[in-house]
Amino acid sequence: APLPRGPVLSAAPVPLSAGWLPALHFVRRGSKAVTRHWKAMHFQRQKLMAVTEYLAPRPAIPPRCLPPKRETVEEDNGYARLLRRQVEEVFRDNRMIAVCQCNSMPNDDMVMMKKYFRKHNIEIKFVLNEIVRHVLSQSKYKNLLPLFVTRNILLVSREMKVKEVLRVLKGIPQVNLLGACIDNTILSRQGVENFAKLPPLEAAQGQTVGALALLPSQMSSLLQGGPTHLTALLDQHIHRLQAGETGSLAEPSPAHSPGAH
Amino acid sequence: GPGGVAVPRAGLKKYILPPDYSGIVFPEKTKLKFMDKVPAVPKVKREPRYLRDIRGPSREATDFIQGQYGILALGGGYLHWGHFEMIRLTIAHNMDPKNMFAIWRVPAPYKPVTRKSLGHRMGGGKGPIDHYVTAVKSGRLVVEVGGRCEFEEVKPFLTQVVQKLPFPAVPISRDGLREMRREEEEKKLNNQNPWTFERIVTANMLGMRKYLSPYDLRFKGRYWGKFFLKHRV
Repeated sequence: APLPRGPVLSAAPVPLSAGWLPALHFVRRGSKAVTRHWKAMHFQRQKLMAVTEYLAPRPAIPPRCLPPKRETVEEDNGYARLLRRQVEEVFRDNRMIAVCQCNSMPNDDMVMMKKYFRKHNIEIKFVLNEIVRHVLSQSKYKNLLPLFVTRNILLVSREMKVKEVLRVLKGIPQVNLLGACIDNTILSRQGVENFAKLPPLEAAQGQTVGALALLPSQMSSLLQGGPTHLTALLDQHIHRLQAGETGSLAEPSPAHSPGAH
Repeated sequence: GPGGVAVPRAGLKKYILPPDYSGIVFPEKTKLKFMDKVPAVPKVKREPRYLRDIRGPSREATDFIQGQYGILALGGGYLHWGHFEMIRLTIAHNMDPKNMFAIWRVPAPYKPVTRKSLGHRMGGGKGPIDHYVTAVKSGRLVVEVGGRCEFEEVKPFLTQVVQKLPFPAVPISRDGLREMRREEEEKKLNNQNPWTFERIVTANMLGMRKYLSPYDLRFKGRYWGKFFLKHRV
């Protein structure tokens, strides 16, 4: 019969049946019961000890074959919550957010860079990846997640100063632009450069208006083109008829008619 | 890298709160009391050996009283004055009396041990009292240490003491003791062997009680003489 497994065996302690006392006790020979040395056991007792040894449970799947249990990190950390709130605020308040990879650079250079950006009203924010990733994964900016791998900084501002950003970053080799989120549009590095090359808003608006207004401006001339041509032709015809009447008396009109055209 | 593989680097610093030592009561004297070699009223009458005060599990001083860490005896034995001095001096030397305290959990030596003079033949009556000892059974706490300290601070010198004791012992904390007891219960429950010592002895299967002592009903195969068999269930 298969051995019963698990705690079923001793979970409900069945009262052990009392046995009978032996009529003949084994005479204890040799040393007393309690000795300073390890007293040799009777062979029967040794066999009993061997039989009643502890057998550890063996589950069907050994625990090392199962996927490791990830202990969930508690997010009760108030400091982490504060930082997350700050990141959310940043994403909400600013129109332009540029994500850059920041390598280590001398402190003086860092201060200069901050100064240049401050002049254009751009702030630099140092962010910890584990916080930003958590915030982004729960917001709509999921596509920005692959950018936050190594040391990153965020350049945030309310105005669109892409040209200045690119200019400053060109002078600093340690900071590389990875991508940007401008007006809730995610742009890659190429996109940012293209965006910088675009003309300013007023000029673009003027261009679109001009392009749109081109056709209507031509519309009146197009519509009037047919009747004007007809009137011109009729005028010519009248001239020719009149010239024909008077020309029959004087010089022939063919000399004038090609010239009248 | 191009897969978006997370490069391991230092994350947010997690500030852990310092441990809370509010509920700790310090005794008047933080160091261990000096134990006499001979009790104040020495026993005039010599007493038989009574080795049963070493045998089996201890019934007193099995749980913590005041301290948080202690030395747990895992075997029976006698502690004489030399052991007491060793414990007292080692602990006093290594602990900080302002922030830690230690208390005895064993009484001063009370049991007289007789010795016959060397080189004489057997006979001539019982020898005179040589020294006094305290009996310690397995599972008893010898000393308790507590205060504004962690187990890791206390463990080195307790291990030093433990190695010099005449019986096997282990430095332990409150949590450690609880954990040990819990593991024992768990082992008893998830033992896959249907044959346990207790079951065989109480039912006297195969007439095993012929080879076992009536004390084995109580000790259930975990104690043999003064030894405590920790690996057995």
